[in-house]
Amino acid sequence: MILRPINRKLGLALTLFAGAYLFLSYQIPSYPYALVDADVVPKGLGFLLLLLSILLFVQKKEETEQEKQKRTIPKKELYVLLGVAGFILIYIFLLEIIGFVIMTAAFVFTCSSFLGYKKYKVSALVAIIFSLLLYLLFNYLLLIHLPPGVLPF
Amino acid sequence: MGSMEGLFSGFQVAFSIEGILFVFLGVFIGTFIGMMPGLGPISAIAIMIPVTYSMDPALALVMMAGVYYGAVFGGSSSSILLNAPGISGTVATAFDGYPMAQQGKAGKALAIAAIASFTGGTISVILLMLFTPLLASVAVVFGPTEYFALMLMGLTAISSLSDGSTIKAMISAVLGFMAVTIGIDAQTGTQRFTFGNINLLEGIDFLVIALGLFALAEVCILIFNRKDSSGGMSGNIGSLKLSREDVHEMKGPVTRQSFLGFLLGVLPGAGATIASFIAYVTEKRIAKKPEEFGKGSIKGLAAPEAANNAATGGAFVPLLSLGIPGSGTTAVLLGAFLVLGVQPGPLLVQDNPEVFWGIIASMYIGNVFLLVLNLPLIPYIAKVLKVPRPLLISLVIMFSLIGVYAISFNTFDLYILLLFGIAGFLMRIFSFPAAPFILAFILGGMMEQAMRQSLTISNGDWLVFVNSPISAILIGVALLSLIIPLLKKKPTVVSDENNLDV
Repeated sequence: MILRPINRKLGLALTLFAGAYLFLSYQIPSYPYALVDADVVPKGLGFLLLLLSILLFVQKKEETEQEKQKRTIPKKELYVLLGVAGFILIYIFLLEIIGFVIMTAAFVFTCSSFLGYKKYKVSALVAIIFSLLLYLLFNYLLLIHLPPGVLPF
Repeated sequence: MGSMEGLFSGFQVAFSIEGILFVFLGVFIGTFIGMMPGLGPISAIAIMIPVTYSMDPALALVMMAGVYYGAVFGGSSSSILLNAPGISGTVATAFDGYPMAQQGKAGKALAIAAIASFTGGTISVILLMLFTPLLASVAVVFGPTEYFALMLMGLTAISSLSDGSTIKAMISAVLGFMAVTIGIDAQTGTQRFTFGNINLLEGIDFLVIALGLFALAEVCILIFNRKDSSGGMSGNIGSLKLSREDVHEMKGPVTRQSFLGFLLGVLPGAGATIASFIAYVTEKRIAKKPEEFGKGSIKGLAAPEAANNAATGGAFVPLLSLGIPGSGTTAVLLGAFLVLGVQPGPLLVQDNPEVFWGIIASMYIGNVFLLVLNLPLIPYIAKVLKVPRPLLISLVIMFSLIGVYAISFNTFDLYILLLFGIAGFLMRIFSFPAAPFILAFILGGMMEQAMRQSLTISNGDWLVFVNSPISAILIGVALLSLIIPLLKKKPTVVSDENNLDV
């Protein structure tokens, strides 16, 4: 019988999470006039998760090949993911400062190039048309105002 | 309003020029998104929600129904053309659809899929039209106790029927429920898990969860597969024509599986995936030449296609009549309804007949559009698969970010979106199904309210849930559906079939 380290690890992580959630549930202030107070459901959920995590930890079910394959990710790809996540963070941070059109065009262009798209002219064109079109659609047709930022319109 | 009269007024909404335009738009965009491997109906609907904000609710919902249908059909197209199912509901379609495409009969396969989908969809809409008002009239008498039991059953059913480990599915559901406890408690006004952050007072918007857990997580998978050259199938797909023998051969499976698929779709938790696998297996079992299955059998293609579309219609029954979604996709649809200020449930037929019958009528029209307009367009829509993946990935990320920003105008929600994107990705690689999470998130608030109302009525007596016969039965079913798969070695139908056929 081989060990199932992955389910053990997941079970342990979830147990810790359930513990933290339960700890916070017990901090919820009580309300004097409620028959069933706000903390009942969170506490119940916390204990339920605790129970399920322990079940996951001790269960005998082995990981299928398919499942194993799913979680093996080459290191290089992980860096690519982190890179994209970084781009998204920068985008969110600057969205309201620089404005929707410029940031969106910049994101589409940089992210596509970063992911290996080499036709820079096409990608620049798509980026600009996409961001302008969406901006016009939202601002003037749907009347949802996206941040203009440094642009005057 | 009688159902005929109601349907007539519904057709007026759906048959207006705008109605037709939006159904077509919905079906077209849905097909487009559904074709992309990885992006399914949940992402399609979630991405489209922001576009509907300022639209007339009836028209917006008509369009959403179109997106849903289109995405399911788009999934079948990529199953047939590329052997890359866009969604799990069309995995079974690829078993016989892809071999047919390889034999140079892609056009014929697409036509069979479209006709089977059309029939399955139409039969299920007729059944939906008959059943929903009936069920709604029963559900009017439901109190909070019955509702709580019903929702509990829906949650446990989807957990025990989703593919993979039942424990993981249940963990996913509990986590989804936990996510909804963040914010101000609706009954006492107590802050829960807000850490003093004012942005969390109103809780997390469901669109953040839907787009993060599905669209962004699927983008991560797309990033891994960005170098896959996507099919050389476009261009020449062969004739779309069917011979009389073809039609004769598909008649039986399509009729049978339309009814069966509808029934499975009505059941909470079952839905398109399970319906299509069951359809495939039963047809294989009763076929005269079962050895043809897997090598391009018409029956093997028509059966799952009829079933998954019929199940799609069936899934609308609990959503429209009880206001309770039975699957991840209908949960997101419910969110779309709520965004538009429409509360599905027993009162929808009475209070908003134009919305209710508009949706039903639009389903008929959506089905027709899929058949007559979308089918000839497939070779062109298939070109989306030629769009360079890096560009596509960037655009999908942008759609998700804009969608969330357009509801809250707050960058805080975007950070939360990213967080849920990462969570969704982790769930995917560690094989935790995401559908129970979103369903629990949607149902969680309602469940907590119903539970606390019941307990308040009963003065804190927990026996209230077993004193009412309806809720006792529902809770019994809920418990059974959890215990049975835990006792069995192999937990689900679907994973069995996967092992069998792959």
